[in-house]
Amino acid sequence: MGFLVRLILLLSFISFGSGCANKTLVALAPDPDGKVGALTVTTDAGSVAIDQAYQATTVHDPKEVPTKPAALEKDAVDRMFAEALSIQPKRPEHFLLYFDKETTLNAASQNLIPAILAGIRERGSEDISVIGHTDTVGSAEYNTELSRRRAAAVKELLVGQGVPPDAVRVTSHGKENPLVPTGDNVYEPRNRRVEVDVR
Amino acid sequence: MRRILVACQLAALLCVASRALGATEHVGIVKSLSGDVTVAREGSVMKAGPNLKLFQGDLVQTGPNGKAGLILEDDTVISLGSNSRLAIKEFAFKPNEKKLSLVARIYQGTVSFLSGQIAKLAPRQVHIETPSATVGVRGTHVLVRVD
Repeated sequence: MGFLVRLILLLSFISFGSGCANKTLVALAPDPDGKVGALTVTTDAGSVAIDQAYQATTVHDPKEVPTKPAALEKDAVDRMFAEALSIQPKRPEHFLLYFDKETTLNAASQNLIPAILAGIRERGSEDISVIGHTDTVGSAEYNTELSRRRAAAVKELLVGQGVPPDAVRVTSHGKENPLVPTGDNVYEPRNRRVEVDVR
Repeated sequence: MRRILVACQLAALLCVASRALGATEHVGIVKSLSGDVTVAREGSVMKAGPNLKLFQGDLVQTGPNGKAGLILEDDTVISLGSNSRLAIKEFAFKPNEKKLSLVARIYQGTVSFLSGQIAKLAPRQVHIETPSATVGVRGTHVLVRVD
């Protein structure tokens, strides 16, 4: 009796494991700006790459290689993912601020503050990042410290305009997330910025 | 003697406080939703609402009439159709400490994934796992369905 029960359990596990459950389909779609990215799909048995829009691959079993990428109709993809695409939130809005010296915004950046506040209101945003960035000149410690102080000053400015303090997170990316990639020890004023991300 | 004791207590308190602060750093938010959407965190399940903060390890689940849109801290935008389950297994967006990674796991459903800054800075560190495969996301717009 015990043996029979175990056998049935075992068989049901096998059929569950190898059955139709957990089929995966992966497709690449164009980016919102029209460019097309790239992806790879990997199983225990191998991997396929896709770099064209509306190409797709499927995996039925992790022990098999994913199917050869095949073109799908755009309409079919749009239908298949209609629900997910219909609820896709707007991408976060980014603002770049620049400084005259130390923690004083330059005039053009000062003029951006109302637009930032409007963005926060429109989105009902409660999740705002203020991120300090530097160029690659000087010691990482000094740059990071300065960019963090600048970011903190921007947070103070927003809070002074009525944005709740706990909705704003201040961080510093130092020189590791440049707007304009450069080598080390390159003076690049465009990289010495504070970025405000409104979600 | 007493001063040492106070210092020790203070150190212990700071240690606990800093750990708590580290653990409370959110990795994203639920931005848009309709119908039944829940978030499972450390054994409990809560109903999601707009701007609900998400943490590493959270499992977002949509019901038969549910759908949801998430924004992560690096600009990644993830949206889920009905009857979908997705967990944020790993998220690190700290370029200054060279810590960059994003691993999402889709257990079921339909998902649109628009990669963000982590994929730009570290294209090999963004993965979507499903029960049968792993998707490496170089960018940007990836659609995944798990039956």
